[in-house]
Amino acid sequence: MESIVLPGEQVPAQHVNLKLGPGLLQLSSETQQQAKSAPVIATRSGVLNHSVNKSKWWVEGNSRRYVPAPQESVIGVITGRSGEGWRVDIGSAHPASLDGLAFEGATKRNKPSLKVGSLLYARVSLAHKDMEPELECFDAQTHKADGFGELKDGFVLQCSLQMSRLLLDPKHFLLPLLGSRFALEAAVGMNGKVWVSSKETKHTIAIARCIEAVDPDGGGMDETHVKKFLSKLDI
Amino acid sequence: MRPPSPSIPEKKFLYDALKQSLRLDGRDMLDLRTPTFTFGPELGWVECAMGKTRVIAQLDAKMVKPLPERPFEGIITIHSEISPMASPDYEPGRPSEEEVTLTRMLDKVLRRSDAIDKESLCILAGQRVWQLRLTVHVLADAGNILDCSCLAGIVAFKHFRKPDVEVIGDEVTVVRIEMILLPKLTFFEQHSPSERAPISLAIHHTPFCVTFAFFPDVLTRPVVDPSLLEQRLSAGLVSIAMNAQREICVLHKAGGVPTAPEEVLRLINIASILVKDLDKRVEARLLEDWEGRKVEVR
Amino acid sequence: MSSRVELINAGLLRSDGRRPYELRTISINFGAQGTADGSVTYSHGLTQVRVSVQGPHEAKPGTRRETFHDRATLNVEVQLAPFGVGERRRRGRGDKRLLELAATIKSTFEPVVQTHLYPRSTIDIFIHVLQLDGGLLPACINASTLALATAGIPLFDFVCAISGGVHGTQPLLDLTTVEENDVPSVVVGVMPRTGRATLVQMETRLHMDRFEDVFRVACDAGKVLWSEMRDALRERTGDLVDKLEAGPGMVAVKETEET
Repeated sequence: MESIVLPGEQVPAQHVNLKLGPGLLQLSSETQQQAKSAPVIATRSGVLNHSVNKSKWWVEGNSRRYVPAPQESVIGVITGRSGEGWRVDIGSAHPASLDGLAFEGATKRNKPSLKVGSLLYARVSLAHKDMEPELECFDAQTHKADGFGELKDGFVLQCSLQMSRLLLDPKHFLLPLLGSRFALEAAVGMNGKVWVSSKETKHTIAIARCIEAVDPDGGGMDETHVKKFLSKLDI
Repeated sequence: MRPPSPSIPEKKFLYDALKQSLRLDGRDMLDLRTPTFTFGPELGWVECAMGKTRVIAQLDAKMVKPLPERPFEGIITIHSEISPMASPDYEPGRPSEEEVTLTRMLDKVLRRSDAIDKESLCILAGQRVWQLRLTVHVLADAGNILDCSCLAGIVAFKHFRKPDVEVIGDEVTVVRIEMILLPKLTFFEQHSPSERAPISLAIHHTPFCVTFAFFPDVLTRPVVDPSLLEQRLSAGLVSIAMNAQREICVLHKAGGVPTAPEEVLRLINIASILVKDLDKRVEARLLEDWEGRKVEVR
Repeated sequence: MSSRVELINAGLLRSDGRRPYELRTISINFGAQGTADGSVTYSHGLTQVRVSVQGPHEAKPGTRRETFHDRATLNVEVQLAPFGVGERRRRGRGDKRLLELAATIKSTFEPVVQTHLYPRSTIDIFIHVLQLDGGLLPACINASTLALATAGIPLFDFVCAISGGVHGTQPLLDLTTVEENDVPSVVVGVMPRTGRATLVQMETRLHMDRFEDVFRVACDAGKVLWSEMRDALRERTGDLVDKLEAGPGMVAVKETEET
């Protein structure tokens, strides 16, 4: 069941071990006893979701501005050097910083060579409202690249944040559908940037146009229409 | 802040695609984005959209004293501004280079091309003339705001109707006209329409602006109506304003890649074909809108 | 209101006695001007402009964020002397016409100057229009080319600009103010080495076919201008080289160093 909430609306979220996700706020109350039953309100408009046992609640909206959160993978563009690392534009309010050593096998002597304008697939390692977000291009425990690093060739396109979440959902139809037509590579950033690459330029263009057409903030096309759309394209 | 330049892969991909004559939005190299027009309840209010680029143009008329050196001519003023609303790349305050280009181009295409007959705006020589004020507001910039603004501007001029006036001696009375979307009323039975209907402006010709973008690679052919990414990565723009009678009104190519004279002439030819199409589309759309409206005289 | 001056008489002579394709006298004077790195006074008929070029130098604080990390920026400023134009009138810095003129000159020279040799720096081009009788933009561009060349800034090629017009069906070259007011005019800037046009500008209504005529003539005229400009620059450079080799000043310096 889907229910739409608007900012300021009360949400019937109650649980002994309540966890609130983005877009929800528990109003503070004066006494400890009341704290548990204090009302929860939505602060963003969107669709209200909760986990099966009703302990986790969140609001799924569709914005375009990215707010970094730890452990999310993002795609960014290098805008400049700063000291030992780089400054990366990930579409958030502040530029993120990427340490020169946060790569697989990077040492003080041997750092990857990245130019201004290079494209990166990275993970947000630190996101705090009072600090610049920080990125890393490896798994901090294993020191393996884990698929992160510089993205070469291909094309990057901007979509809404919801679209990038949809693309990350393995059950979503679009990428498998495209994959059944031709070989493709894709990297989806939670910041609404999608990198796609395929052997042929026209295939890459087709992918980009399909993603734009399916984007709920744009065309909002469904599966049957996309199939029709694809058959019209010269691929 | 200067907009961040596109990343290296984007640049490379776009140039590669253009080399194969492919564009990212699936258009042909010489395809315009189809413009759509939305007319407001008032006459002379039009919103023009080309893809995601959107511009509003609004025209109104006011009676003023003419300039002493031109007592028989009406006055046309054009106001345009690119606010940060169109795209975060623009800053408020000092006019940016794009804004200067836009303002000057609108002025040249709409005013200095003598598209609108200024003498017909005169009511009483030396005392009363119409001042037409056009405001062009860029709502969203997804590339090529220049063509979109010029198009919105000229359509606003064509859509506008100025009120009828009666001159008795030195007295000027305006026949008040309220233009509203009304169901077809029986008003025409009471007044003869030729006497009282608001008058469209005297327009000599309709110039349309078409912009081409050149790319650094010499073998890549120029594209028409560049998108935002194409515009950013282009190595020079050529804007040609023409009318359907194959007259060039404005040609603007400043710098950019040097072009052989034959290429310039080829572009003019292409523009003349595109402009003819645009002209038909605009006329059809204006007619459609006009038929849905009725005039009421109060 | 068209003037009553007959622009072309029956003998195909223009109001100032020129033939349709005849250009006005050009004089180029490379007098050193104060601290500028390169300067030139260029007169074309009764139009006279003075251009000084400074740079490349570090961007001034405050404008630094407008610099590029991989190339130099050009900064063009045009001033119209209040006494130089028909009616005495001061034009402020915000005058849209002058701003556009400056923007046009800037974008004309951006692909011509080898800006990538001087990253993060600025090259200033200051243009002062002393007297105006038609052909403002071509005069500014020709003078800027010469000034950039004397300042020793590497260029890919010259830019030679010329105005043209059409009277009836007769193409004209190099218009005066009187002619500019009455006939459609075109400004063409060519790079003479390749014969390609880098600047084409027209602001008045003209049929395509007529445009083609005048455009082709103007492209050729650009090459004629080139020979004039080249000769002037060659003479100046030759002069400088001679002075380097045989100048008494140089010898004197050497002697003092030896002692």
